[in-house]
Amino acid sequence: MARYAMAIDLSSCVGCAACAVACKLENEVPPGASRLWIRLEESGTFPDLAMQYRPEQCMQCADPPCVGVCPTGASHVNDDGIVLVDAETCIACGACIAACPYGARYFDERGFVGKCTFCEHRLAEGRVPACVETCPTLCRSFGDLDDANSDVSRAIRAAHRVEVLKPEQGTHPKLVYLDAPARFGLTREGVLR
Amino acid sequence: MTSDAVTTFYGAVNDGAFWHWPTLVHFFLVALAGGVALLVAYRALGRDRLGWRLPALSVGLVALDMVVLWAESLARWRLTHVYLFLSIRPASAIWWGAWGLAGSAVLGLLLAFGWGPRRLWGALLAVTSTMALLYPGLALAANSARPLWTPLLLAFMPVTGLLLAWGLALLFRQSDLRPAVGVLGLAGALLGGLYLVGLATGGLAAREGLAHLWHEGGTLFVAALAAMLLGPALLRRYPAVAGVLVVSGAVLARTLLVEIGAFMPPLS
Repeated sequence: MARYAMAIDLSSCVGCAACAVACKLENEVPPGASRLWIRLEESGTFPDLAMQYRPEQCMQCADPPCVGVCPTGASHVNDDGIVLVDAETCIACGACIAACPYGARYFDERGFVGKCTFCEHRLAEGRVPACVETCPTLCRSFGDLDDANSDVSRAIRAAHRVEVLKPEQGTHPKLVYLDAPARFGLTREGVLR
Repeated sequence: MTSDAVTTFYGAVNDGAFWHWPTLVHFFLVALAGGVALLVAYRALGRDRLGWRLPALSVGLVALDMVVLWAESLARWRLTHVYLFLSIRPASAIWWGAWGLAGSAVLGLLLAFGWGPRRLWGALLAVTSTMALLYPGLALAANSARPLWTPLLLAFMPVTGLLLAWGLALLFRQSDLRPAVGVLGLAGALLGGLYLVGLATGGLAAREGLAHLWHEGGTLFVAALAAMLLGPALLRRYPAVAGVLVVSGAVLARTLLVEIGAFMPPLS
């Protein structure tokens, strides 16, 4: 059993969207839906302008609100702490889509709800998620939070700032952002260590 | 050069509407089915003759609701809905709603055919129909990330659901329901007013939600509350008009809250 997590170093993300493309191809995500997207935020007054790329996806919450509302148990957390949807028992009611504070779920036209799985099928083969493998700036770190030597644990230790989105929701995301050049909704509260 | 924060995206963001018009029809039908089933329970617990028509109507409404849900579901050909009844998921509002509707259908059938102990079936039907009436509010209020779906909907949705069903029953000369419709209409309007006050005095997300509601359909929402308030005043002299008013108000308010209420504030 592991406690898989991901860290994204925003100081080195260049917004190339290679992760989004890799995810789409790897997981056959249907048109019009995304498991992963890039947010570009700009603000300020010249010459004090700020700009930041931020990849967003399922936050793999430690306390996921999408799981409790599922009427069939299709939405569940596996032994490695990954929030998954069992397509066989999903009735596509959309309750989990309504519950997700991050907009990370979508209706898959094949009759179930889709979301990021941390590429569970690749983990089973000893590989990292497609977005991690593809990133040309190596801004994504992945691994077991309980292993002090994992990439993600080392990246978090080395970071100046570790932040999450929407901590007020009490979801305790296992996807954290490192060293963001600007705030744009990020906060240090609610970071899972 | 100055700018407020500008946000753009690469890749589709899943922030569009996820419940469409069939879901709105379902929210109407589930209220109608639950409300009529509760009326059947009320009659079954009384001493007057029950007959078969009203229980059969309640079963028919549940069946119609199920057909609508099935037809709009992406999973309609996979028959996965059976897992609703093969799992124990008490934290899920939809699970309770499924059992409430299924139980109401079975008990309605038993009462329509006159099989078994009428009062016991009536008591059980009161429970299952209440579950069906409560579940939409539970399903909405469970989503804390959406500020327009507040805990007040736990009361607003069942009250307007019952108002919708019993207000409609007024048009079919169920005149003994007039006092109850009067109370429900006033309660619905009061809860709607409290809902708006709660948003206005809430946190930033609640106020953003209120601004969104106001922009998208605030006038209609106030008109819906006014209809629920005005209906009871006309109950004695114009019961049919009162019925139309409260039903319109309840349907409109519920529709707006489900459709516009899916709003999530943008990240700041």
